[in-house]
Amino acid sequence: MHPGRRLLYFVAENPLLLLLIVLVVVVQLLTGAVLNPGNLRGVGLDAAIIAIVAAPMAMLFIAGYIDFSVGSVLALSGVVAGSIMAGGGDPAAAIIAAIVVGMVVGLANAIFTTVFGLSAFVTTLGSLLAVRGVAQLLAPLPVSGFGDAFGYLGVGTLATVPLAIWIAVIVLILSSLFLSRTPAGRHVYAIGVSREAAYLSGIKVKAIPFALYLFSGAMAGLAGAITVARLNSAPAGQLGQGFELTVITAVLLGGVALTGGSGSIFGVLIGVLFLGLLNNALVLLNVPSFWQDVASGLALIAAIGLALVTGKLRQRLVVLEARTLLRSSDTTTAEKVSS
Amino acid sequence: MTVELTGLTKRYGATTALDSVDLTVESGEVHALLGHNGAGKSTLIKCLGGSVRPTSGTIALDGRPLENLTPRSAIDAGISVIYQHLGLIDGLTVSENLFLGNELTAGLFVRSRSQRIVAAESLARIGADIDPDIPVGALSSGGRQMVAIAKAIQRDAKLLILDEPTAALSPVEAAALGRLVLQLRAEGLAILYVTHLLNEVMTLADRVTVLRNGRAVWAAHMAGTAKGDLVRAISDSAGEAPAEASNVDRSGVPALRVPAAADGVDLEVFPGEIVALYGLMGAGRTKLLESVYGSRPSSRREVELSGEAVTLGSPGAALAAQVALVPADRHSQGLFLSLPAQENSVTRAMAMLARLGFRSPTREREVFDEAASLMSLKPHNPALPAERFSGGNQQKILISRWVTSASDARILLVDDPTQGVDVGARTEIYAVLRDLAREKGMAILVSTNEPEEVIALADRCAFMADGAVTGIVDVPGTTAEELLSTIHPSDADDHSDATASPSPGNRTTTRETEAA
Repeated sequence: MHPGRRLLYFVAENPLLLLLIVLVVVVQLLTGAVLNPGNLRGVGLDAAIIAIVAAPMAMLFIAGYIDFSVGSVLALSGVVAGSIMAGGGDPAAAIIAAIVVGMVVGLANAIFTTVFGLSAFVTTLGSLLAVRGVAQLLAPLPVSGFGDAFGYLGVGTLATVPLAIWIAVIVLILSSLFLSRTPAGRHVYAIGVSREAAYLSGIKVKAIPFALYLFSGAMAGLAGAITVARLNSAPAGQLGQGFELTVITAVLLGGVALTGGSGSIFGVLIGVLFLGLLNNALVLLNVPSFWQDVASGLALIAAIGLALVTGKLRQRLVVLEARTLLRSSDTTTAEKVSS
Repeated sequence: MTVELTGLTKRYGATTALDSVDLTVESGEVHALLGHNGAGKSTLIKCLGGSVRPTSGTIALDGRPLENLTPRSAIDAGISVIYQHLGLIDGLTVSENLFLGNELTAGLFVRSRSQRIVAAESLARIGADIDPDIPVGALSSGGRQMVAIAKAIQRDAKLLILDEPTAALSPVEAAALGRLVLQLRAEGLAILYVTHLLNEVMTLADRVTVLRNGRAVWAAHMAGTAKGDLVRAISDSAGEAPAEASNVDRSGVPALRVPAAADGVDLEVFPGEIVALYGLMGAGRTKLLESVYGSRPSSRREVELSGEAVTLGSPGAALAAQVALVPADRHSQGLFLSLPAQENSVTRAMAMLARLGFRSPTREREVFDEAASLMSLKPHNPALPAERFSGGNQQKILISRWVTSASDARILLVDDPTQGVDVGARTEIYAVLRDLAREKGMAILVSTNEPEEVIALADRCAFMADGAVTGIVDVPGTTAEELLSTIHPSDADDHSDATASPSPGNRTTTRETEAA
């Protein structure tokens, strides 16, 4: 493929990337503060926690499912990990417990949606409420004081980069490899495009979403451990409030289709970074906090409009290419393709 | 009133769906429109209904041409199309459906009481005993058909177009519909009646037009038309290559054996053999294939694979037993439309080609290239989404899953492989299926409702009616006409009273004979 055309494709597939660059450049020129290391570390840590949960959320979206329970799972796992640490437990045990608690909720979501066939929207909305309740029952008062070893998970660095960012990078790379390079990953797309065709093709239309819910629960649990380690406190009522909507917004910004069947982990990364940097820019520009919400909301709508426009652009590119391919060989199909 | 189509033509790219068709329907007349799938019947009625814009030609009402017809302006002009899916909304009541988009209002509010009264009158007028207050979803297919017709009448339809109206009806309901059609004709409506069923044409129609490959190849008054004339007009045996003499070895164990249900006969397919499963719409062909494949949880069926009795519980189990299905509806059941052609073609092979759990792009590409050249896929482009291919090439992508060296399927179940597939691609698909049988020794069971397809493709033909296989014949030595008359028992060949109003009882008998 011609390099110029390749670039066009890339832009058509990731329209938000351009906006992201423009945003960083403009705000850097205005405030001079975006690119300083302290600021980037803060933005990166926030984004890392969102990204860890956004990767499985994106996969669920692509397969035509959703998980609203991640914010509450983050709270419950955070509370469990916090309680273990406050009781003088082992940091590794606390992290593993957080992940296991998340997987238990994921298992419940998976059973209801894939085995019993209940609506994913309703099931996970239910677990959003129920799990938050359980978290508050377990720890009516905030637990705190977890010790330095556990705190390392939240604030520690490795080669000057926060540990949480390393974890997010690993989760994103593995998720991306899974989606694009394994048969099961491609089956996630197939299920999202047409569940019936997937079933008739012998694809495991229950086992795959089942595993994705377990993954989503595990990652929300891990995010819970990181969050409480960072805060050095676990307030069951406030932890992860509205987190699920932030994650879903980032995933949608990243171009993952709500209707299933398309999206990429690279897109999700851009979506997470865009959302984080937009909020950061508004803080740096001293925009009042309510306006920040207004801005994120409008950004989501704008991004979806953008996706529509570039989606059409991409379609045109595909048609153009098909025509060039066909010009010499077969005019019949070319006309069909263009009609 | 007279509706006159002159030189109506519709092209999609290089495919001609309708080729200068002339057709006239007059008040007080039932005009039957006959033809195979893909002959152009639906395109023609969509042109009349305003949902498809013809490439050229005119539609005139009493000599006045109707320009730029839209669904709305067609209704306003008095043309009402009742499509097979009827266009009713299940959750709304009968009277709400009758007034949908035309509500009787007082200020901002719907006058439900008045609507119910008018609805009850409309229903009574067509002799339908239906409570206007119950939801449409609670009605039987016959009841829904009645509501759809009442809706058309209430909108002052002058031309009523019925698209295979009896396809989903029970014999009793079909008889009632037949009576209603004749009543509406007597009231002066013009009726265009689209159907597959020759007996319906014989009993109801005054005039008939037969479409084949988009052309009107036969148009006549029913007086003086015999069923045999229609059979000859519909079938197109001229252009088809006669099947080569079959030398399938049937002495061994069949690859697939479906034991008879109730009073039918056993269905056996031997390695290297193509058996056609031939029957009308609704004969239960798809259901039989799906119950063998295990994709229909409510009706799985015990079959014998190379002599071994098994019940396949799911598509996954079927594929593990080397049984593959090419489903009829390639859009919703077969392809992943928005995904690239290559992924659609190697769907099944992907896991086998993977190394250490990771996909192998080069091996997948090789298998796609092999598949695409075997199928003469156009364009040969692995990255193009499946939805961008023509109907024939989409079907090739679907079949290509089972043709390469990466497929281990031994038994191929193919459901209606050439629906909406152009003639060229059809021939190529037949050739590929024949090669799979002859050279790879696959056992292929092809469901079809076109006699020409049976002749062009199969070694043997199994007849299917009412969910049972009723008989099997050798294909070489038989003709499309013989096949057609086997599934349309020709009690009505004597058409002398066909143009007169038949008694309702008469119609019921006809349906029953057909089902038998």
